Formats: sequence, C-alpha cells, structure tokens
Amino acid sequence: MSAGMGKTTYKRLKGSQSFRQRLLLATLSSTAVSIDDIRTDSTRPGLRPHEVSLVRLFEKICDDCVVVFNDTGTRVTYKPGIIMGGRNLVHDCGLSRSIGYFLEPLIVLALFAKKPLSIRLKGITNDSKDPSVDTFRSTTLPMLKLFGVPTEGLELKIESRGVAPGGGGEIILSIPTVQGLKAVTWIDEGMVKRIRGVTFSTRVSVQLENTAIHSARGIFNHLLPDVHIFTDHRTGPQAGKSPGYGMSLVAETTSGCFISTDTAVSYRGGNEEVEMEEEKTEIVPAEDLGEQTASALLGEIEQGGVVDSVHQGLLFLLCAACPPDVSKVRVGKLSPYGIGTLRNIRDFLGVTFVIKPDPSTETVILKCVGCGLKNFSKKVS
Amino acid sequence: MAAESGSKGQPHKSHRSRQAGPSAKKKKNVSSNFDNENLTVEQRRQRNPKAFAFNSSVKAKRLQARTVEKEQRRLHVPTIDRTYGEPAPYIVLVHGPSKVGKSLLIKSLVKHYTKHNLPEVQGPITIVSGKQRRLQFVECPNEINGMIDASKFADLALLLIDGSYGFEMETLEFLNILDTHGRPNLMGILTHLDKFKDVKKLKKKKQQLKHRFWTETYQGAKLFYLSGLIHGKYLKREVHNLARFISVMKFHASSWRSAHPYLVADRFEDVTPPEKVQKNRKCDRNVTLYGYLRGCNLKKGAKVHIAGVGDYSLAGVTSLADPCPLPSAAKKKGLRDKEKLFYAPMSGVGELVYDKDAVYININDHFVQFTKTDEENEELNRKGKEPDVGEVLVRSLQNTKYSVDEKLDKSFIDLFGRKPNVFSEAQDGAKDEQKSIEWDNEMQTVDNQESGKDSSSGETDADDAEGIESFDQYERVNGFDNMNSTMQPSSSKGGLTEHVEYYGGRMRRKAVFGGDADPGNSDEDANIDDEDESDANDVYGDSENLSSEDNQTSGSDVSDDDDDEGHHGEHMGNVSKWKEFLTERTVSRQHRNLMQVVYGAPATLSTSINRGQEHDDSEEEEFFKPKQEGKKNVGEGTEAEDVNVEDCSKFVRSPKSWKERDVVESIRDRFVTGDWSKASLRNQISEFNPEDGNAVFGDFEDLETGEKYRNGEMEDFDKKQIPSENDAVIEERRLRKLALPEHLEENDDKQGKDFHGSKANEGGYFDKLKEEIELQKQMNIAELNDLDETTRIEVEGFRMGTYLRLEIHDVPYEMVQYFDPYHPILVGGIGFGEESNGYMQARLKKHRWHNKVLKTRDPIIVSIGWRRYQTIPIYAIEDQNGRHRMLKYTPEHMHCLAMFWGPLAPPKTGIIAVQSLVNNQKAFRITATAVILEFNHAARIMKKIKLVGYPCKIFKKTALIKDMFTSDLEIARFEGAAVRTVSGIRGQVKKAAKEEIGNQPKKKGQLREGIARCTFEDKILMSDIVFLRAWTQVEVPCFYNPLTTALRPRSQTWQGMKTVAELRRENNIPVPLNKDSIYKPVERRPRKFNPLVIPKTLQEALPFASKPKDIPRRKQPLLERRRAVVMEPHERRVHALFQQLQLIKQAKMKKKKLKNEQKRKELEAQKTKDEEISRKRKREERRERYREQEKLKSTKKRLRS
Repeated sequence: MSAGMGKTTYKRLKGSQSFRQRLLLATLSSTAVSIDDIRTDSTRPGLRPHEVSLVRLFEKICDDCVVVFNDTGTRVTYKPGIIMGGRNLVHDCGLSRSIGYFLEPLIVLALFAKKPLSIRLKGITNDSKDPSVDTFRSTTLPMLKLFGVPTEGLELKIESRGVAPGGGGEIILSIPTVQGLKAVTWIDEGMVKRIRGVTFSTRVSVQLENTAIHSARGIFNHLLPDVHIFTDHRTGPQAGKSPGYGMSLVAETTSGCFISTDTAVSYRGGNEEVEMEEEKTEIVPAEDLGEQTASALLGEIEQGGVVDSVHQGLLFLLCAACPPDVSKVRVGKLSPYGIGTLRNIRDFLGVTFVIKPDPSTETVILKCVGCGLKNFSKKVS
Repeated sequence: MAAESGSKGQPHKSHRSRQAGPSAKKKKNVSSNFDNENLTVEQRRQRNPKAFAFNSSVKAKRLQARTVEKEQRRLHVPTIDRTYGEPAPYIVLVHGPSKVGKSLLIKSLVKHYTKHNLPEVQGPITIVSGKQRRLQFVECPNEINGMIDASKFADLALLLIDGSYGFEMETLEFLNILDTHGRPNLMGILTHLDKFKDVKKLKKKKQQLKHRFWTETYQGAKLFYLSGLIHGKYLKREVHNLARFISVMKFHASSWRSAHPYLVADRFEDVTPPEKVQKNRKCDRNVTLYGYLRGCNLKKGAKVHIAGVGDYSLAGVTSLADPCPLPSAAKKKGLRDKEKLFYAPMSGVGELVYDKDAVYININDHFVQFTKTDEENEELNRKGKEPDVGEVLVRSLQNTKYSVDEKLDKSFIDLFGRKPNVFSEAQDGAKDEQKSIEWDNEMQTVDNQESGKDSSSGETDADDAEGIESFDQYERVNGFDNMNSTMQPSSSKGGLTEHVEYYGGRMRRKAVFGGDADPGNSDEDANIDDEDESDANDVYGDSENLSSEDNQTSGSDVSDDDDDEGHHGEHMGNVSKWKEFLTERTVSRQHRNLMQVVYGAPATLSTSINRGQEHDDSEEEEFFKPKQEGKKNVGEGTEAEDVNVEDCSKFVRSPKSWKERDVVESIRDRFVTGDWSKASLRNQISEFNPEDGNAVFGDFEDLETGEKYRNGEMEDFDKKQIPSENDAVIEERRLRKLALPEHLEENDDKQGKDFHGSKANEGGYFDKLKEEIELQKQMNIAELNDLDETTRIEVEGFRMGTYLRLEIHDVPYEMVQYFDPYHPILVGGIGFGEESNGYMQARLKKHRWHNKVLKTRDPIIVSIGWRRYQTIPIYAIEDQNGRHRMLKYTPEHMHCLAMFWGPLAPPKTGIIAVQSLVNNQKAFRITATAVILEFNHAARIMKKIKLVGYPCKIFKKTALIKDMFTSDLEIARFEGAAVRTVSGIRGQVKKAAKEEIGNQPKKKGQLREGIARCTFEDKILMSDIVFLRAWTQVEVPCFYNPLTTALRPRSQTWQGMKTVAELRRENNIPVPLNKDSIYKPVERRPRKFNPLVIPKTLQEALPFASKPKDIPRRKQPLLERRRAVVMEPHERRVHALFQQLQLIKQAKMKKKKLKNEQKRKELEAQKTKDEEISRKRKREERRERYREQEKLKSTKKRLRS
C-alpha cells in the first residue's frame, strides 16, 4: 500500500482574480492549486500573456514545479516545487504589463528561496497600471528591511527604462534569503518630513520633466519646504523603445514610513493589439502630470497609515508570513487589492486579521498572528 | 578566591590548619621561611603585585579568550515561549521492558497523588499534582512502534529497569529513540531490588547499573531505587520521593514540538451514524479524539497526522471544558483532597464525560460521590448537602417556569420605538444568556466561557449600528424587567464555587471553577466596564469585578452614571469627555463589521446577529456608518460577482484639488510643518482604543450630538493629550517591566547605569535578545487578550493547553476495530509543505551497535517528525568536488548521506531508522540515526561505471574498439571521452567507426553497430582491454509505505517490503556469483620477448656506434686460448710458494673467524643473563615505588576526609 504516492489534491479556485497572489501563496504554503474558469465569458478567454509570463517566471525560479494549461487557457493547474532562486537569471516580462506586476510577488517569493536571487527583468519599467520600478526601489525595499530582511544583497538597479508600447527597459533585482521574518508593530505613521522623487523621460525632451517638477512643487510648497525631485533623462539604448515620461514621488515620515505614488505617460503608437483591450488614453501634459502625482501623494498622506494603498497587500502578506507573534499595522482605507490579499491569506495560510477602524484618524488597524512561515529549502550545514 | 566568592553567598567553611602532628611541624618549617602564609590572596596580591601579574601577554590573551569562549558556550539562543494560558499537563511516560513494573508504578503514583486505587492502567491518566501542575501518566507500550510514538510526546520519561536482571535492549533502544526525537527529561528507576539477598551484591549492582546508565545518558543522571513491594505496591516513602522529584522538574520542548501542534488522545469515540455501520460493517468511520493541545496553537481546518493511521484534515475542532482543571489560584498550602482530581476515561474512571453537545455521567458504584465544593459554599447550601452539577441541572429543569416558546411569545420586536427596541434587544440577549446558562449547566463550563458568550451577545449589539447598549445596560433592563438579581458568593477562592442567580423567578446555580475565573481574563474586559483602569482592577481581582457588576445591576441609571464617572475619575471634569469615548465606542463596535466585510459573515453566528444585520440593512441611515465602510459594502457586492477582476494593486481614488487652501490645511498636521502635538496624538491615542472603547455607555441621541460637535471633540482630544500620552508611557513601562527578568529589574533599581555598563560587557547582546523576546511575548498576550473568544480563536487558533475534541471523518474501520487503549494515539499537526512528497537528503550514521552495514536500496523503516514509514534509501558520500557518489553500503564508522523519497520534513528533523519490528529479536533493532539536511526535488547521486571494450582492429595509434558501446548513438554520446588500456595507454573516443575503414565484420552475425574509433597516445595491442570510466546518475526510487500499525491487531507485526537478502533466505536462492569477481592466485609466466629486430632502413640511418654489428662467428678459438704456457723452474717455485702462503692465510682466517664466532656467542649469552637480572631488579623497584605512592595517596585521602 502506498497511499498518497504521486497523488496530489488540488485546491480548487475560480477566475483570474488575484492570480499573482494565488500562485505566490500556493508556492509558499506548498499547496497545489487548480484555477478554473479563467475569463470563460470574455471575448478573449483564457490567460493573458502577462499571466503566462508570470507562470514562466515562477517555473524559472522554482525547481520541480508542474504547470498544466488546458487548450483554451481557461484552466491552470499548478503544483509548486522548491523555490531555488539563483544568480544571473533573465526573464522577459513581455509588454502586456509592466515589470511592477511581476515584482510584487517576486520579492516575497525570493525571500524564501534556497539561494539568493538575482534576476534581470526585461520589459516595461513604468506604466500607470502597476507601481513603477522607482517605487519599488524607494518604498518597497525599505519596507522589507523592517521585517528583518538583511540590507546587503537587497538591491534594484534600473539599467534602462522602457515605457508602454515598445518596452525595452531592464532592471536587475537581487534579493537575499531569510530564515524567517520578524513580527512588527508598526502603527506610528509619523509626520511627513521630506518628499523625494524622481522623474524620467525617454525619447522626449528633458523640458517635460522640468515642467512636471515645477507643477508638483507648486502643490507641495504650501506644506513642506523639503522637496527634492530628481530627473532621470535617458537617451539612446537606455531609453527603451518608446517615448514617454513620468514621475514617482515618495514622502518619508518622521517614523520612517515611506508613502509613494507614481504616474507615467507614454505615447502609444499604432499598436493595435494593445489598444484592442483598453481605450486609448489621452496623453497628459507634463504640467498636469506633476500636479496629478503630487495630488495623489497628498491623497495617500491624507489616508494615513504606515504604507500607501499600493503596498497594503504586500504589508499584509509579510505580516502573515511572520512567526506566530502578533503583528500590528496601521493602514489607511483598505484598498480592494488589500482586501483581496486578506482573503487569499486566509485561504492559503489560514491567517485571519483582526481589523479595527480607528475613528479619530480614519485609519484601520490590523492585527494578526503570523503563520510561522520558515525557509525550509535553505540547506543546513 | 574562595574568600571572595564566599563573601557574596553562603560562606564556605574555612580551612583549619593542623595544630599538631607531623604536618603541623612541616608547616611550621615552611611558614618560618614565608611569613605571608596565613594571608589571604588579596593581601598577598597587595604585598607582592608582581607575583600575580601575567608573565606573558600571549598567555594572558589566550586565557582571556578561553574564558570568553567558555562564557559563550554556555549561552543558548533564547526562544520565545508561546504558552500564554495554563500549560497542558506534562506527560510522564513510563517505559520499560515487560514485567518490570510499569503499571504498578503508575498505580502507585496515582495512589500517592489522588488516594485512589486505579484498577487498570489504560490510556493516559491525567491528575492534578499540585497547585500549578498537572501530570499525565502514559504507559509506553513495549513494542518498537509504540516506543517511537511515545518518544515524540513524552515530557518526562521514567525508564524502569529490572535491577535483578540489568539493562535490557528495550531501554537502550528507547534511549536512542528519545535522543533523535528531542530528548525529554529522563529518570531511571531500578525495580526488583528485593531479589537480592546479599546487601553487598546489591550495592555493587546498583553502582554498576548507575554508571552504565550514566554512560548512556549523561553523568549524574538520576537513578531511583524502588527497593521492594509492600501489599503489592511500591513503598510509600519511595513513591513519595519520586513524586517530589517529578514535581520540581522543569520541562523544555524540542524545536519540532514547539513548532507543531500535537495531542495525545485520552479518549476515543466512534461517532459514525449507527445505520451506516449496520449497512456496511467495514465502512469508513467518523471518530472523535479528545486531548490536551500541546506544542503550539491549532487552527481550525488544520491537517493532522494520526500516528499509525495516516493524514486527515480535521472535520471539526471544539474546545471543551477542562476535565481536570487546576485548582483555584487562591493562597493555601497544599491541595485539598477534593481537588485531587484525576481523569482517565480509557481506564474507566472519572464520573463525567463531556462531549460537544452532551454530558455523560458514568457512576461506578464505589465512585458515587458528588462534585466537590468548598467549605465556603456550605453556608449557601440550604439543604446542608453538597449539590452536584448534574443535580443542579436536574433541579433547574424541574424548576423551569417558562418554556422557550413561551419566552419567544413574550418578546416582541418594535421597529420604530427606541426603548422597546432596546427591550427586545435585551430579550434577545437575555435569551442568549439563558441559553448560555443552560448550556453552561449542561456542560459544566466555567465562568469565563459564559462571559465569552456574553461578550458575543455584546457583539450582537455591536453589530447593530444603532446599538449602543452595553452589556451592563442590558443587565439593567433585565433588572427592572425580570426582577433579576445576581447573588454572588463573596469568596471565589474555592476550586468549585457556585454562582446563584434568580432569573425570571427561578433559581439557577452555575458551577464556577475559581481557577478559571482568574483576573485579567481575556474575555471579561470586553464587557466589564471597569477594565480600562486595568491596573487597579487587576489588583482587586475577580470578586471585586463581580461585586461592581452587582452594583450596576441593582442600581438605576443614575447610579450607573455615577459609577461610570467614578471609573473615569482620572480624566474628570470635562462634560464632553464621554462623547469621545462614545465615538470610539461606536467604532469599536464596527470592527466586527469590518472583518465581516473582508472575510464574509462567519458561519457560527447566532440568529440574533443575523436579525440584527437585517435590521441594519433595512433601516440603516448612512449617517451612522463611517464613510469608508459604506463604500466597502458596496464594493464588496460588486466584487463578489466578478471572479475575473483585473489583478492590479493600484487603486485610484478620485483626487481632491489640493490647490485650495482649506483642503491643504486639512492635512497640515500630517507634515512636520504642522502641529506636532496633534500629530503625535494621532499616532498614540488609538493604541488604547480597545481599552477605552468599552468604557462609556451613552444614549443613542448623544451620538448625534457627538457627530455634530466634531470640532469640539477635536479640542477635547487636544486637552486630553497629555494624560493619554502619560498612559502610553505608563503602558510601555508596564510591558517592559513585565518583560524584564526579575534579577535584572532588581539590579536596575539598585545600581542603575553602572550595573548596565558591566552587564553589557558580559552578555549584552544575549540580554537584549532575551528582552526583545520577552517584550514580544508580553505584547502578544496584551493584544490577544483584547479580543473576544471567537475572534481570538479565529486569529490564533486554539491555545495550547485547551482540552480539545477533534472530529475526523472517513478513517478506516480498522482503526476502531483494532483500537487498543494500551497504545496511546498521537495526533500531530502538519506544517506547510509537510504533506507533499519529495526527495530528502539526510546525514545518516549506522548505529554502532547494529552489527551489519546497511545496503543501498534495502528498505528501511524511518521515523521522521510524526510519521513512520518504510522507504528505500540510496546512500552516498560527497566527494571532494561536490559530487554525490553512490555508496553500495554505509560506511562502518562514518556519516554518509542518504537520499530517499517520502513526505517532506523540514531540515534538522531527527530520524531514527529500524529494519525489523519484531519483538523477539535479540539484537539491537535500531539500525541508524540521521538528521535531515535539505529537501530538494533534484537529488543528483552519481555512480561510477566502467565500460569495457576490446580492440578489433588496430591501425598505427588508432584502434577500433568493439563491445564497449551497443549503438552508434551511444558512441555519439561519448565522443571525446577518455579511455585507457590496462597497460596505461591513454586515449580518446573519436567517432563511430565507418564501414570502409577496415570495419568489416569477421563473422556474419557480428553487429555492425557500436564500434568506436579511438585514438591512443601509443599503439595498443590486440591483447589490451580498453576501459572507459564515466559517471551515471542514480535514480532514487519513489517509494514510501506508511506504517499503518494502528489498523491491524497490535499483536501482529507489520510486514512491509522485504530486503533482497530476506527474500533470498526465504526462497533459498543463492547469492549470484560472478566468476570474474572471485579472487584467484595470479600466475605470471615469465614473459618471452622476441628478439629485437631493427628494420634495415633504420639501420642504415643509425650512426655506426648504434648500428647492430654483424660479426660472423669464428670457427677457431683465439690465439690466446690455443697457446700453452710453460713456466721457468724459478717461476714455478715462486708460484708454488705463493699458493702455499695463500693457503696458510686462508686457514688462519678460518680459525680466527670460528674463534670470533664463539666469543660473540658467549658474550651474547652473558648479556641476556645480565638483562634478565636487571629487569627483575627494575620490576622490584617499580613495585616498591608504586606501593609507596599508593600508600601516600590513601593517607592523603584519609587526611582529607
């Protein structure tokens, strides 16, 4: 009798929602999943290119994982393997979503790998849908440090930038491994003491950046003198394949929280494939772009919380992965993505958060007992 | 030095020098030379500092390094202890070979603790052994599977050894098993000592056994002696001593155990519907297992492994009331007789058996007695008899006036009026309360559970957006409605007290276990208002709490308010103060809502909550809901529909125009340019929200005003800021104080900074770590205790130490059929990834007592984590270059790697391997011990192979090799590989030989394929054999076979896959023999070389000297040979003389030689003689010396003693 040999039970899920987190959590908790009904009713059923690319990325980093798509791509079965990590990996993220889409699950995954990860990701570095690579560098990586991730080996280098239709950006991400995380009590949001930022422009004039910076400063002038926004003008091969520009702002508070926003504008050329899905977005003038980004940042600051709305999901994930101690964090209003993350965490890791609104500040305080995720793939000597 | 150390603690007895006798005389002589003899070290150091200085800086450095190293070795990484409540009873495992007195020992111990005679020892037996400690005795089955399982849960192992017989294999095996599975505390017990008649022999045997035990465990391990039996029981005094030793023991869990929840079932029930069983006797069963949760917290829906059965997911987990609770925490010296509880359902003792929804009363004739109550309660007992819980239950059933239906009729729902609404609400709550009380009575649950229920009813209110009724308000309503009054016995010291209530005209008596209603309990602060001044309250404790409750229930609204203000005396004075609490309070109510928004409604909601929700939806105004929440509700509604929502973490909200001044001003305080005090307030006040939240109760309308005066409220905050900040500081300090170890704290007070400085040098980092851990722990406790029971269980799972009922569905019927109470059931939780299968790499060592090496691919039975299974390992060793080379057998005295397939276990997990499970085997059964190094799916083990070929055609340095490969494809794979002949000529595989170049088949049947062209550094011979050495990967077999020992009669031995040797033995198959492998004497004939032939052309090219000279043979001998020599007479004489002289000389020499020989022999004989003598003499001397030394030593010893 060899019960259970080679037989795996799959956790059944539906729809394409939070595909990234499902894959990530399935890998971390080593549960096999099968996702059905992926956009069955859509005009273009099945997985999108970026989702397939994500699966390929997971396959690259993990050892022995098994992914099976059905013919129409409406169903995926995923059996996770061991997270290996490794050096000098290369992945082409494609052009349907930006690198930020891939980075979000990747940085959590790589923490629990056998070997430290360093990977070169190619694709779109900045777009308006996903957090830009600048945001990851300025906000996300410092956040990891709070959970006990070592500083050395934690790096994101932007080799070249690329915006929406053409892409051509390249970054190098290196993430160290951890044995386990550290529970945090992070409820002191502090006061904003400085605002930093970076604008970029590829294949367009530097003047646009200066305009954007000027308009953004105009908004901050009422509030804070300590505002520095740097420019990052790229030319030649470093500028990718399409023209565009954008801005990423980060506010640092007295208690060491980072709150960031970013926007990007790209001149979408005659690329019909992309346009089929989403209507053509009109190009925002640089002045408006600066204003928009600055307003969005102030909006995030107004929300309160120790992280911005984009990082809520990541914050919850990290809290849930902590050892079984109480983690306590304060965020602003829960974003839909954050709520989705909470649900996924409950489903995969069995961690439920206690969610209490704090009326005086209109923020939400979340508490959880971590699931005690440990890096088992690391070899003991 | 002695004087120094003595000055701190207890002074040692000072040395008393001899006053008389030879040693005194000696001393006198010495002391006359050195007058500083009777000075202390300190004084001497002062007098002669140079003598105490270091002579060598290197030496000093080395010494210092050594002390530092020693210091460091003492330290262990501090680990956090996550037991927050009462710990589960410690498991005392009694192990020993058969007929050594295991059950008798348990019986004696139980008798000692509880004064009860246990008829039979079956399953775990829980007893209360002290005020703070419970023990669970488990008898270890005398069988290797049982031993392995038992070693995984034992906290203390009592190893029984038959003193008259000596150590048996079981004990030694068990010690090894314990070692790998995280060694618990150990104690050896010698029994059967009354078989010794001779006291001296007994003493010697004891000594011998003790030292053997020490070598097996550690020096100084405790070994008890049970000297005999009186009335069939061990001696009282000895059992008492043993109990004392057990009671002072400290327990530490291994890392595996503290990371996995586990449970030793002390009760086992089959709960399959009977009709299903009747239909099919062999249908899969549903079973329930009961036991204390240990290790770590267990969450609902977790997966578990039942040892000997398999993996199952928990169909249901319920926490039950502790069947064997600790006595109350009240101060008293010892346990009262009535508190000496014990619980052993499998052994058939204990009257009450609890289930999730029922209580079974099992009354043995000689156990008929009523549940214990305290003397204090006797005052309250009008009948003078102590009422049993069951009795109370029955009596209360008789007293019921109204049925539930009647009550339902009475209650009514009014949608518009406020007051009646409250009433109905209260009714709801009351019903809840009633239910809970009934339930309580049935379950004999403790007080805090009841209050937990209350708190949930409070939550019910909370769900209602307009519900501001606090718990006490509802009580108040009850008060004037139902003439409800609560009488509480003033003392809650006793173990089991009663809680008498007059409720709706009938009396209810609730059993309250004092031990459980401890102050500062988690749930009570949810509804008892005076909790926020926690410190004061903690001091007063429980009775105070309840009495204040009394106050409120009897009092009117006004008195309540008074009460309230009394409670918040510290932030007195401001009229609008309460409003701020109000808002906080409403919001604290909402947290459940927010959780529901995120997670959906929990399944276990009472009806009242649902009703409240409906209510909520129907007549809810947006007004009372926070903005974001309303939004979220809407958001959720849409989200639930679409499962294909775009996966995007960005969420764009409608931007405000931040150019306008007032909009900008609204977030001014979030910047450093703004008001710092307001900003800090923002960060701090809400930390204490939960405590403050319940502090205020107010009316509904007041909320509106609260909303109205929002700005005023802000000002209040401002004013309140300073006290609240103080609160924060105080809270922080309190946590810190709790966290600090006691000695540190003390010293902190005494010495302050100075002390800290020195401490930092010693183990600053270590202390910091410890402090951090302790802080985290205190924070965990504080945060978790804030939550109500249901939420807490949802968040952290069931706590360690709770008594759980696990329901498991679809287990094989054999588990029920062959259930044997003598074999405890171990249920262990499975962590992430531990249920999936994969390859594991372990560092393995054959046990030194196992007399055979292990063979690769021979199945072994391993025990890893909770599991036991059979698997096929491949042994390997890591080469210098990192390659894992397969080994056919394990090395004799070395570690090697073992790769096998099976359910994954995390690294550092210990493994024990056995090959046979039979009980009657003489030999040591444990074959190997190992530890998991890593699990990786790609296990690459390489094996060396030699391909052998023979030349079939030789060109100059090229040869065609046959028989090495079987196909041209294979040759293609090996192109460029190095080959070698036996004689050492190196070469290389080129390509498959073409047909044209001499690759003609000699015979028709010969295969054309697989002939390789190789080149060599020299020409090879036809007689050469060509080797190719290569590495090939070895596949690890994907096989594992769980040991389902619980699914068969325990008497049968489990039989798994057999080893090849076993199969051969059974079927009489001889070991296959390769003739070539046999060693034969090597015969080497002298090699005959052919004459050297130098080709003509070469000869021509050679220089003359090297040219072979072609000299013809002479027919005639040379002239010198042929010519005769005739000497002259003189010459002849001279020649003769010379010959004679020569002869004489030779003769002389011969003589001389003989003489010398003789002389030498004589000399040698003399020498040996001398040596013999001297050796004898030396031996004598040595003997004398030793004797003297021994004498001296013994005298010294005597002197010392």
